[in-house]
Amino acid sequence: MTNKKILIIDDDPDQRLSLRLPLESAGFSVHEAANSAQGLVAVKQGIPDLIILDVMMDTATAGFQVALDLHSADPTSNYKEFRKTPIIMLTAIHSTTPLRFAPDDDYLPVEVFFEKPVDPDVLLAKIRELLG
Amino acid sequence: MSLIPEGKEKLLKPGAMNARRSLVEAELVSSVGWMIELRWIAGAGVLLATWVVENLFRLDAAEWPLYAIGLTILAYNLVFYLQKRLLNHRAAPISAYYRLAKWQVALDWLAITLLIYFSGGIESPVIFFFFFHIIIASILFPPRTAFGFTLLAIVLLTGTALLEYFGILPHSPIGGFLESPLYQNGLYVSAMLLFFSSTALITAYLVTSIQERLRAREEDVVNLSESLQRATVRLQALNEGARTVGSTLELAQVFNRLVRTTAEAMGVQACTIRLLDQSGQRLEPVAVYGLSQTYLNKGPVEVESNALARQVLSGKIVNVPDVINSPLIQYPEEAKQEGIRSMLSAPLANMEGPLGILRAYAVEPNRFTPDDEAFLAAIAAQGSIAIENALAYQAVAALEQSKSQFVRMVTHELRSPVSVIRSLLRTLTGGFAGGLTPQQKDILERAAHRAEFLQGLIDDLLDMAAGKAEVRGRETPEPVALRTSLEKIVRRFEVSAREKDIQLEWIDRSDDDPVAVLGTKDGIDRIFNNLVSNAMKYTPPEGKVTVRLARVNGEAQVTIEDTGIGVPEDAMQHLFEEFYRAPNAKEMEREGTGLGLTIVKDLITRMGGHISVKSTQNVGSQFTVTLPIHQDESKQDAGEAQDQPQNAMA
Repeated sequence: MTNKKILIIDDDPDQRLSLRLPLESAGFSVHEAANSAQGLVAVKQGIPDLIILDVMMDTATAGFQVALDLHSADPTSNYKEFRKTPIIMLTAIHSTTPLRFAPDDDYLPVEVFFEKPVDPDVLLAKIRELLG
Repeated sequence: MSLIPEGKEKLLKPGAMNARRSLVEAELVSSVGWMIELRWIAGAGVLLATWVVENLFRLDAAEWPLYAIGLTILAYNLVFYLQKRLLNHRAAPISAYYRLAKWQVALDWLAITLLIYFSGGIESPVIFFFFFHIIIASILFPPRTAFGFTLLAIVLLTGTALLEYFGILPHSPIGGFLESPLYQNGLYVSAMLLFFSSTALITAYLVTSIQERLRAREEDVVNLSESLQRATVRLQALNEGARTVGSTLELAQVFNRLVRTTAEAMGVQACTIRLLDQSGQRLEPVAVYGLSQTYLNKGPVEVESNALARQVLSGKIVNVPDVINSPLIQYPEEAKQEGIRSMLSAPLANMEGPLGILRAYAVEPNRFTPDDEAFLAAIAAQGSIAIENALAYQAVAALEQSKSQFVRMVTHELRSPVSVIRSLLRTLTGGFAGGLTPQQKDILERAAHRAEFLQGLIDDLLDMAAGKAEVRGRETPEPVALRTSLEKIVRRFEVSAREKDIQLEWIDRSDDDPVAVLGTKDGIDRIFNNLVSNAMKYTPPEGKVTVRLARVNGEAQVTIEDTGIGVPEDAMQHLFEEFYRAPNAKEMEREGTGLGLTIVKDLITRMGGHISVKSTQNVGSQFTVTLPIHQDESKQDAGEAQDQPQNAMA
């Protein structure tokens, strides 16, 4: 379980901290990125085993763009080696607002959707499941 | 959709003259038929009378000529009958009927003259029958023709009498009728002719003058019924206009209906609405009925250079009886080419000033009457109200929209930090940042609890704001199977029911029907999740909560019944108010936003349903939700809809 690398892409440092603490105490190696661009650079450099991605950053849907880039089915994609890297997407968007999202293979290739705030135990359980 | 029923339109459009003529025509056509019917009886009567005279009265008449006359009458009547049928079949012009009527009278005149001759000439009692014919002719024909026929009758009788008197024609009396013949009694013959002639002329005069007066009355009636009809059509138009103004808030739709209705109701070529643009200097057409694009493209209508527009915008109703000679018209040539000769314009205005012009166009010069002016003014007044309403509505809708957007933005901004606070607190209480003393942990848990409540409140506010915005149809409703949704919700509460020792019962009376209603899955889930959650929350242990689904009177009915604390009577009327919580509910559950039922009711109303409550304090409550059932061609779809993966973006 240890030494697995997890990248948190979220513009809110407090949110990153609240995620980092349980992950580190579970033995993961945690990397942070404060926006999409940093996130994509960090992906290239760090080759994380799993990515935790916030939806709303620079724009209301910046996280989606990152997920689409990373999981693009296009064989010429810059990120094709990360196509299989699991993504956990966090959203603060409340479920009944018009902007509502759910995992959908056609639309958004992410593994799990969590609505904030995330229960650390639930998050850890999910990560363990995804990383086998 | 035309305002004017087919028939009325036909009557009105060709103008008043046609309606009048057609009435007289119809009368002539029916009179021709009536004469033919009477003649069957007359012909048969001649035959019968001859037989009676010969065989019952034993009088000696020239029976064979009389029989021949009777048969001849029947024979030519047959020809007339066939001719009339032919005319009817061909829908022949009225002149053909007129000719037919003249022929009939002429032949009848001959027949009765012969009848008189063969029954004793000037001595014949048949002479009186001539008056029937005169009356009929006077009813049928205009006075001149009627008098012509009357004179002919006098000439025929006088000729017969004189020819017999001078012995040129043999006398043909009914033997045994008179003791001594009178046909050569000069005094009798001249007295008889004098009285016959004067009676005939007086009869013709009386009948024709009565008929003239009747015709005049008839014309009055036609005129009156026409103007009534016009009034009805206009009232309908006004009524339609009022309804349009009331029912539609889409300006374009209001305008289009108004111009069409107005043109149809006035029976004119065209109608337009032009409104002042932002600058207030130029009039732009916003609704056009019955004008060509060429005419509309004739050139700009500037208030500055258009005298007519200036007059109308100053608040006057302006009638231009003939566009060709009017100094008011800016584009007389174009109007002429369009076939427009007269125009009637009425101002559209609100409290602040002129808005535009409502104008009717007619192909005839001098088309518009003071009645038309009043009518157009009434329509223009309605149009003004419509504009006012629609603009007000647009303003309110925009305000509502921006309000909702604002609330959504604010609540969203509130939600993020609260959510981060909760996340951070959880890392602490979860021990991920080191151990805590029991007291520290307790304090943090209390803080987390309050943050959680705050988040619930924000979520509810967000829902309400979203709900109000959705009225504009942002989320598309789809058929949702109520049974599936309810089963899910009941299952969701099974664990907490066991924990709280509450009997949770699900009664499905939908008879294998998924009971599809039109809504959003989220909406349905929120409604019933909220109601069941309330029932569970306010029902003490060992109580019972029942969820029941049924079809009642073609509607879906869901009842959520509990044996809980109930709603106090004076709290009942506030139950669905925003932020309201009944005192006994507050006592039992300290926390609660008082927004749940408001949201529930809002959702139900938007789905076209309603919610009602029956409750007795300390006994229990029963919430009944009624929703219209979605009539779908394939019930299958509604049932499956629930199992399909949710769309990423709804």
